[in-house]
Amino acid sequence: MKPIALILALVFFVLGILYWMGTINFFTKSGAAHEHHTTHLIACWALALLCLIWARFQSNAPARR
Amino acid sequence: MTFTQALLLALLQGVSELFPVSSLGHTILVPAVLHWTNIDRSAPSFLAFVVVLHLGTAVALVLFYRREWAAIVRALVVSVVRGRLSDDPEECVGWRLVVGTIPVGILGVALEHPVRQLFGSPAPAAAFLAINGLVMFLGEYLRRRVKRERPIESITYGQSVFVGFAQALALLPGISRSGASMVAGLLSGLDHENAARFSFLLATPVILAAALLEIPKLFAADAHVVLVQAIVGGIAAGIAAYFSVAFLTRYFRSNDLRPFGWYCLIVGIICFVLSRMGVIS
Repeated sequence: MKPIALILALVFFVLGILYWMGTINFFTKSGAAHEHHTTHLIACWALALLCLIWARFQSNAPARR
Repeated sequence: MTFTQALLLALLQGVSELFPVSSLGHTILVPAVLHWTNIDRSAPSFLAFVVVLHLGTAVALVLFYRREWAAIVRALVVSVVRGRLSDDPEECVGWRLVVGTIPVGILGVALEHPVRQLFGSPAPAAAFLAINGLVMFLGEYLRRRVKRERPIESITYGQSVFVGFAQALALLPGISRSGASMVAGLLSGLDHENAARFSFLLATPVILAAALLEIPKLFAADAHVVLVQAIVGGIAAGIAAYFSVAFLTRYFRSNDLRPFGWYCLIVGIICFVLSRMGVIS
């Protein structure tokens, strides 16, 4: 699961940058709504961070199942 | 916007954000019922005012649960550093809050604007308010079939996601964030007190993040027009929210959602009929 978590983290990280640059506009008003793109950047990076934490938990054996 | 209107809206926001009666629905319906036609909901000054109200509410929630949040954040940091989950109750609650926040975070960012453009008028808000009441009755009815009443740390991550999705229903004006998440909590086996606690803890990062993300609106060209109203309103909303959460945590120790269900159902139906008759618009 660790590779999946790391790949997802990378995907969300890149997705955030693409939103911020305005390259992709899913669920946004294209072009003018720049602050909305910043919101998507923050949301994507938050998900990337969670994926990294998930990967961190995969590095050690769980204490409980 | 007059000073009295600002103060009333602030108190309304502070109370209705935490009571399971939909703050968004009320901030649409109350100005419509009172014919406050001088308020332009899309004006930069009004948006800045709303941001301050949300900040006040979020600060009140953080202050009320300050000891719990300190313990939860500490437990989460320790957990990440250790790289392992443990049975520590604060850590368990913390990760369930993180998992439960993901659905509302994603759906909120993606759908908030289109949903509000579609349903941001009195008639849909009134209809959803009535539905919100029915959902609470349904939740109370179905809860009786769930035998177990357990602490927050014992619910599964899947149930946390379920509560998170329920909370996301509050994107619809008229559906209450705390009401929907409490119903989902009850159906996951929590008692009323723990369902309310989980709901308020879950609401805190969402309200705070939403307010922080909107802070740039405070620096819009016309935002300073309502500076005094915003400051007074933020404090009033914070005080109202603090006393609301203090009241509700006591209330749900021995009471249920049905009184709020009746309120939402009756007010929702009345406002829907009035909006269809053209009395409010």
